[in-house]
Amino acid sequence: MIVSERNFLNRLDIRLIALVFALNVAGFINLYSATHGPHSEGVASLFLQQIVWLTGGWTLFFIMTFVDYMWVNRLVWVIYILNVLALVYTDLHGKVVLGGQRWIDLHFFRYQPSETMKLAIILLLSKILIHKNPQGRGMGIREILIPALLVLVPLVLTVKQPDLGTGLLLALIGGTLLFFVKIQKNIIIFLVIVGAIAIPTTWKFVMKDYQKNRILTFISPDSDPQGKGYNSIQSKIAVGSGQFLGKGFQQGTQSQLEFLPERHTDFIFSVLSEEWGFIGSFVVILTFVFLFFICFEIASRARDKNGALLVVGVTAYLFWHMFVNVGMVIGLLPIVGVPLPLLSYGGSGMLTTMLGLGIVSSVAYRRHLF
Amino acid sequence: MRSEYISNPEEARDYLSRYKLFYYFVFFTLTIFVLRLVWLQVISGRELRQFSEKNRVKQNKIAAPRGLILDRDGRALVENLPGFEAIISPQYIDDIKKMSAEIGPVIGLDADKVADRIQKSKRVNGPFTNIRLKDNLSREEVFRLKRLRMDVPGLEIRESIVRHYPLKENGAQVFGYVGEISKKELEKLNAKYLNDNLILEQGDIVGKSGLEEFLEKKIRGADGQSFIQVDAHGRETVTKIPNIYGEQIKDLEPIHGHSATLTIDKDIQNAAYESFTKLNRIGSLVAMKPNGEILAWVNAPSFDPNDFATEISSKTWGKLINDPFKPLRNKAIQDHFSPGSTFKPFVALAALQDKVITDKTVLYAPGKFFFGNRWYHNHNKNGEGYITVYDAIERSSNVFMFQLGIKLGVDKMYNYISLLGLGSKTGIEMDREVSGRLPNSKWKLAATGEEWQPGEDLSTAIGQGFVTVSPIQMAIAYNTIATEGKVVKPFIVKKVTDHEGKILFERFPTEVRDITLPQPNGYKIDPETFKIVKEAMRRVANGAHGTARGLRIPGVEMAGKTGTAQVMSFSADQIYSSCEARPIHMRHHGWYVAWAPWDKPEITVAALAQHSCHGNPGAAPIVRDVIEAYFKKHHPEMIAQGLKIGIKHVTEKLKPSDGE
Repeated sequence: MIVSERNFLNRLDIRLIALVFALNVAGFINLYSATHGPHSEGVASLFLQQIVWLTGGWTLFFIMTFVDYMWVNRLVWVIYILNVLALVYTDLHGKVVLGGQRWIDLHFFRYQPSETMKLAIILLLSKILIHKNPQGRGMGIREILIPALLVLVPLVLTVKQPDLGTGLLLALIGGTLLFFVKIQKNIIIFLVIVGAIAIPTTWKFVMKDYQKNRILTFISPDSDPQGKGYNSIQSKIAVGSGQFLGKGFQQGTQSQLEFLPERHTDFIFSVLSEEWGFIGSFVVILTFVFLFFICFEIASRARDKNGALLVVGVTAYLFWHMFVNVGMVIGLLPIVGVPLPLLSYGGSGMLTTMLGLGIVSSVAYRRHLF
Repeated sequence: MRSEYISNPEEARDYLSRYKLFYYFVFFTLTIFVLRLVWLQVISGRELRQFSEKNRVKQNKIAAPRGLILDRDGRALVENLPGFEAIISPQYIDDIKKMSAEIGPVIGLDADKVADRIQKSKRVNGPFTNIRLKDNLSREEVFRLKRLRMDVPGLEIRESIVRHYPLKENGAQVFGYVGEISKKELEKLNAKYLNDNLILEQGDIVGKSGLEEFLEKKIRGADGQSFIQVDAHGRETVTKIPNIYGEQIKDLEPIHGHSATLTIDKDIQNAAYESFTKLNRIGSLVAMKPNGEILAWVNAPSFDPNDFATEISSKTWGKLINDPFKPLRNKAIQDHFSPGSTFKPFVALAALQDKVITDKTVLYAPGKFFFGNRWYHNHNKNGEGYITVYDAIERSSNVFMFQLGIKLGVDKMYNYISLLGLGSKTGIEMDREVSGRLPNSKWKLAATGEEWQPGEDLSTAIGQGFVTVSPIQMAIAYNTIATEGKVVKPFIVKKVTDHEGKILFERFPTEVRDITLPQPNGYKIDPETFKIVKEAMRRVANGAHGTARGLRIPGVEMAGKTGTAQVMSFSADQIYSSCEARPIHMRHHGWYVAWAPWDKPEITVAALAQHSCHGNPGAAPIVRDVIEAYFKKHHPEMIAQGLKIGIKHVTEKLKPSDGE
């Protein structure tokens, strides 16, 4: 332990911290612009709130760094079960905002259990999956069944809220972890077939009209430019009108004049693209990619399987958020309410993201032990 | 603590082979996203930038001020006043019902009606077409709307120009009125102006009738364009953001419409309309200089075109449309009536020129006249006895004219009288002129399939039957007598000038023909013939038995002829003791057409007083008032001279039958 303390700074992964901090800076510049337009009286205070969340986030980050994730692991089931209970409570008594029942009002803070659920699933699957696939031939049905069920329970609860975006992300994160541990080929083929049947069924029986509309609109946004396709079209105009160099800080007309909806949350990347152009968007995406690559490197040098899985899980969390959010903003994916980690405004999201990154940092911190 | 939790790097190496796929997938995603960004921001960037500009920069049309319409001395007959209008852009409205409920009461409109209008326009014209909710807002309304504006996205208060007609009802059918273009007109006018580089749009104000309509192209000017920055809710928003051109777009200033100077004299025009209102007459009047310049043009009853410049209520509109006396019609050119006795001088001209009679010929004119198998009546039951053509015109003898009619026959009458322009359009530059009807036997056969009856020569000779004339035709025809043969083309627009006063267009008097010279049909009327008829017509106004003798202007001798046009056949006389006893719409029309001074004409006036029963006192006092106004303005010395030698300005009360 004396050695470890002496090497404290060496053992911290400075690259990880630097990249996260860089994204924070980009996020703040951008959020300031998005919340200080000519008609932004209502959202101006969100910028200051985000500083509070980020301060909390970095505190969690460093706490997690210095706590051995092995200890967290013991609480995983408790965390998972509490979180599922919170989801059930939300479905029954949660606060309805914008058509979704997603929040528990804690008075000082609106807690969104589905957000922390993503992390709980990462923790739980990481704990369970280390025992799976001992021969390296890939997991069979029996091995997959329990982890799959553990993902499915919160997933159903989330989709019922209804929050399709978060449900989708739970599936993507869980699926990525299972895929990482390796699944037998025939099961993957089987899943593809099931998916082919399940998608039309879901369309017909599970999805709400607004969710269907989003997908229809994505397929043909120009069919109703003032109505359903509005968000998609305005976002594409915002991104494209930034051109190569962008319109400049606080000069994005699409965002400042409110043509962009939800510009401080789901469409924060449009603001960035509009004001900082291709250069700005490229730099931010590239920073994310560097972050993922560093995470993969940390995972590959983890001291044990559990650490590797935790990092892969958190990376999947970050990656899929970015993938769905940016894909939606630039018109490659349908409009799904998924925030962009580290850039979008949001307390639950910011705390969860920083907590997850803290775990990555924790795994990195302990890599020198081998 | 289980063994798995102990650091075991060897075990973690099981996963090493799995990362490769993940690196690839992230890299693949990066590539796709970057390509997409290149597509949007680099390749389509310019186009999408324009879309974003279109989003925030709203173009507003700045309506060009229409040109003024001035009288011959440069006084305004139609002008512009500054005003405010309330505009709604439907695309920004979230809840039409709620918005209408907020705005309606402020501008004094029914909330449901406002909502209906917006919904209808949205359905018909789409959400991007602005709706003019109300124009000519009062100061109070502007103030209250401005306070509302922040809460009502899409509401705008714009400066506008309100067309103002200082003469109000006077001459309304001539000057016309303006209003928002209708869908039908939009198509029609855009087709009409296809080659004039003028494209009209929904919401444009256009001339709807009269000169406003006729001069549209010349006086409408070119609309400008203003560019304002708006947010997603249509609210004007000031930021320091430059546009793609590097600076705020400059407004395109509207170009003022050209002004039209008319031949109208505001003083004469006012005198004419005042006379109509003072005497409570319905009808029409045209006053003209002998060269064809129209000095006054009045139709009564009338309407106030200022009501149209603002929003006209359907109640007012309905009243105008359903008024049996047609206040919207420009009767001076659009309607034609029997000339009655005002036709007699024409018949006299034909008879004298054709040597059927001379000015010395004496004919017997009793109270009734048997021809064919029936009696034809004189309006004076006692008859006039043995009279010459002078007496016949002075006293308006029917029986004398019957005899001329028989002697001439309809075709000869036609050949002479058509020279004076009856039966054909005068060619005044305004739209919708009618040509009236001057019958001949050929026409009757073609129109009815029947032969001309000799009895119809008699009714034609006293201006009844088939013959009809418009007031403006009468002015031209009488002017031809006054000028001894010069048929002129009447005109009302003297010149069109641009904003700086440069003359773009000017019209000069046109003599259509001089009928003292043989015309294509081989007929002419000699100056000597005119002189006889002129003397007879002088006596109408001045002679001891003249039907208009009661009306004098000191120092100015008029010449003219009264007339009565039957609305119903004379058989109605058997039901009603007198014309005045009939319901008003069944009463006869009175005519008086005159010029002055009788020997050196300066002004010719034709007046029709509908349902006034007699030419005098129906129409004649109006003509007298107009001519008097002219001489008071231009020759006060003549009137002063006349008063000095003791001619009184009197209006003698005549027996009705004298004033036919």
